Amino acid sequence: MSSNNGRPILEDVNVIVAGQGGDGSLTVITMLAELLRTNGLNVYTERDVLSRIRGGHAAATMRAFAGDRYCIGSNINLMVALDEEAVEKNARQLDSKSIVVYDDSGGPIPPVLPEGTKVYSAPFNRIAMRTMRRELYKNSIAFGVVGRLLGLEDESLRETFIKHFQRMGQVILEYNLEALGLGFHLADEMGIHEGEGLYKIKKTAPEKRLLITGNESVAFGFMVAGGRFFCGYPITPSSEVLETLQKWLPRCGGVARQTEDELAGINMAIGAALTGTRAMVATSGPGFSLMQEGVGHCGSGEIPLVIVDCQRSGPSTGMPTKPEQSDLNLMVFGGHGDFPRIVLTPGHPDECFYLTVDATNLADKYQCPVFLAMDQALSQNIATVEPFNLDGVSAVPGKRVEAGDIEKLGVYKRYEFTEDNVSAFAAPGTPGGLSLVTGNEHNEWGLVSTDPVNRVKMMNKRMGKIEVAKKELPRGRHFGDPDAKIGFIGIGSLFGVILEAMEDLKKEGVKTQYLQPRTIWPVLEDILAFIDKCSRVYVVELNAQAQLAHILIHQGADPGKIVNILRFDGIPYRPAELVKSVIQAENGSKIKKGKKEAKLQ
Amino acid sequence: MTMQTHIKTFAPARPIWCAGCGDFAVQGVLEKSLHKMGIPPHKLMMLAGIGCSGTIQNNLPCYGYHALHGRVLPAAIGAKLANPDLTVIAAGGDGDGYAIGAGHLVHTFRSNPSIIYIVMNNSNYGLTKGQVSPTSPTGYRDNAESGLDSILMGLSFPSATFLARGFSGNPEQLERLMEAALDHTESKRGFAFLEVLSPCVTYYDTHREWRAKVYNIDEEEGYDPTDRGMAFQRSLKLKEQGRIPIGRIFKGEHASLESLILNKTELPPAQHKVGRDEHREQYEKFIDSYMG
Repeated sequence: MSSNNGRPILEDVNVIVAGQGGDGSLTVITMLAELLRTNGLNVYTERDVLSRIRGGHAAATMRAFAGDRYCIGSNINLMVALDEEAVEKNARQLDSKSIVVYDDSGGPIPPVLPEGTKVYSAPFNRIAMRTMRRELYKNSIAFGVVGRLLGLEDESLRETFIKHFQRMGQVILEYNLEALGLGFHLADEMGIHEGEGLYKIKKTAPEKRLLITGNESVAFGFMVAGGRFFCGYPITPSSEVLETLQKWLPRCGGVARQTEDELAGINMAIGAALTGTRAMVATSGPGFSLMQEGVGHCGSGEIPLVIVDCQRSGPSTGMPTKPEQSDLNLMVFGGHGDFPRIVLTPGHPDECFYLTVDATNLADKYQCPVFLAMDQALSQNIATVEPFNLDGVSAVPGKRVEAGDIEKLGVYKRYEFTEDNVSAFAAPGTPGGLSLVTGNEHNEWGLVSTDPVNRVKMMNKRMGKIEVAKKELPRGRHFGDPDAKIGFIGIGSLFGVILEAMEDLKKEGVKTQYLQPRTIWPVLEDILAFIDKCSRVYVVELNAQAQLAHILIHQGADPGKIVNILRFDGIPYRPAELVKSVIQAENGSKIKKGKKEAKLQ
Repeated sequence: MTMQTHIKTFAPARPIWCAGCGDFAVQGVLEKSLHKMGIPPHKLMMLAGIGCSGTIQNNLPCYGYHALHGRVLPAAIGAKLANPDLTVIAAGGDGDGYAIGAGHLVHTFRSNPSIIYIVMNNSNYGLTKGQVSPTSPTGYRDNAESGLDSILMGLSFPSATFLARGFSGNPEQLERLMEAALDHTESKRGFAFLEVLSPCVTYYDTHREWRAKVYNIDEEEGYDPTDRGMAFQRSLKLKEQGRIPIGRIFKGEHASLESLILNKTELPPAQHKVGRDEHREQYEKFIDSYMG
């Protein structure tokens, strides 16, 4: 970092605001993100909430940075703790250089901070109550102090308030501006004067970037790929896909329905798909379990459908607001019977857009269920991404026949055996193309059949589609040193964490490489080749059973090379934690030289 | 329609039903009504549930779909919303519609899409050998529960627009009801619910019993099917008297689902041509809205 007047230029800062649900932690972080973005920085934000509207520990974290980062950093530079619990819960992310702004209305700061941490204490809650008669304003007071600490100008903070609160009415805006003023006053008392914060903000023109979540990017990808029918049922953390499409899809002549349950959701989407409309559903674990019968039905009936699973901690109701990657088995192996499917795994909000376009095209092309494996962090964290390149994607129509084609052919079979195993589709309403679609085993006409010869041929036709699809499925992305002995494999929100852990490991002299799979089913050759060329591959996963590693082993990966790093406590990984896990494992593997079996933690 | 004559597609199957099954009457009446209303096979999307009645689509020239058990209504609504130009008919039995799929019936009454739903009610599970169904009377095979009356249920929805019950033993009336149902949906007035008492000759032959119990409400002097209160009162009274009302029990007015939610300035979803970038302007607006 370069410095100016002794203060470094702000190039990478992590800020957490924590308190009780309803304290407004997210508001403070959102406003900071907006403001720092206008100063030319990129941002990434994460929320940590409970499945309730008010109360319970809640935190929002933001990282502002120059360049490219895809996760929250290892250490929090600045923490705003609105109560004791906020300090206790998040102290693990602090280091000796961290600064804490603490609301001591409820008592002194608990003695859990790393040595050297600088603390600014003030009774924000009491001041808000005394001066404003509402504790609600404590976050606006705190915002003034945090803004000063970051080195932001008072005027820019005020402007952000006006931009943010104006839409809520003049009265609310005025009260909040008053609270902000109190914050500045308090900062003065603490000796944090305007222009004397921790950083110098280099004012550059903001790059043209979107501030978007993975869920919103998925919704947009579907729209752009010609998706025109969506069904969903509210469930954390997938609801934003439904909400975004309810807003945008009708503007494009599409339909986004909230159904009575997930059973109706998938079956209504299937009904639309039967008419040749590109259809999608989005859900999370419990809803996805309910949809299983429909998934297999799409496989058997050769019905194109995109299924978005925003994974959260399971099993059962689990921990609805926490990230996990524990539905991989259900996506890859779920449903009764054997049927073809494709599972794609985006790693960042921008990739969510591009892979959803792919998923929508692939479902139509191969007439089968295509999954997008998301996780809570990938679904809901907000990131700055480059504007989506609309000219770089296209909606590619599937194999269709119109009335004229059928007229020429003189025959139409919905499930005709073909070279590429895909049968042409005539949409209902097309003269001449009458057909039957069924989940029962059927012949080429769609009539129910238990003929053993037909059965084998039909099964091979359906499963054979995946062999054809393999040639064009999204390959993994490779990062790091191609000669490194140590490899990483990880999907979803772990993408950014692994990339940053690799940088840190490199600084410690450990060379690594990373294959970020973007298709996990079918397992493509590139993943197996990557494992082959490494001596050891750390498969990092947010689940307890090493589901991804087992899928890879099932498809031929050498189990002796795979070391599992598993996390299922609901807490998102920080790069330094991953570095620590790897170094521990490396030290362990040096001692246990030659030990070949896979390690399950 | 003329094209069908020389293009080879699936040959409609012969029904799998037992001789004397009430479902034959339903199919006969349906074919007649479709012909009379001039609905060509390629415009007909016939969706059926699981059960004996859930094979009816195989027997007709149409775009047919065999739904998952209990899920015929959501699939039919999806098809109708995606392409409202289709004549969408859902069909199934009392197990499919009132047991495993009962939740969807409730919400279809609520939403009023212009589709027909024909429930062939035989008061047992015929395909799996006669188990108790939601409409089986108390005492049938030790059934401890009382039977469900779907028309009474439908009457409780302010958005219900067409409630009728027919009897396979009265094909003339059934034909009138079927035509009225088709007329209702073709004129986009919403959900046409038609329950047909369709006896199962093999496991629970109610033919004689139902012939004695049915009461033709169409012929009742002074009965006004647009009067919800009267429809309720008469249905309850007749039930108390051990009778089953058949006929056009209720006619209501409510906006259809597709008229409420489809964007009228756009083609329906199924008619969008994939790959034609007709909504680029909206896509760019979306991107702009996230620029901040």
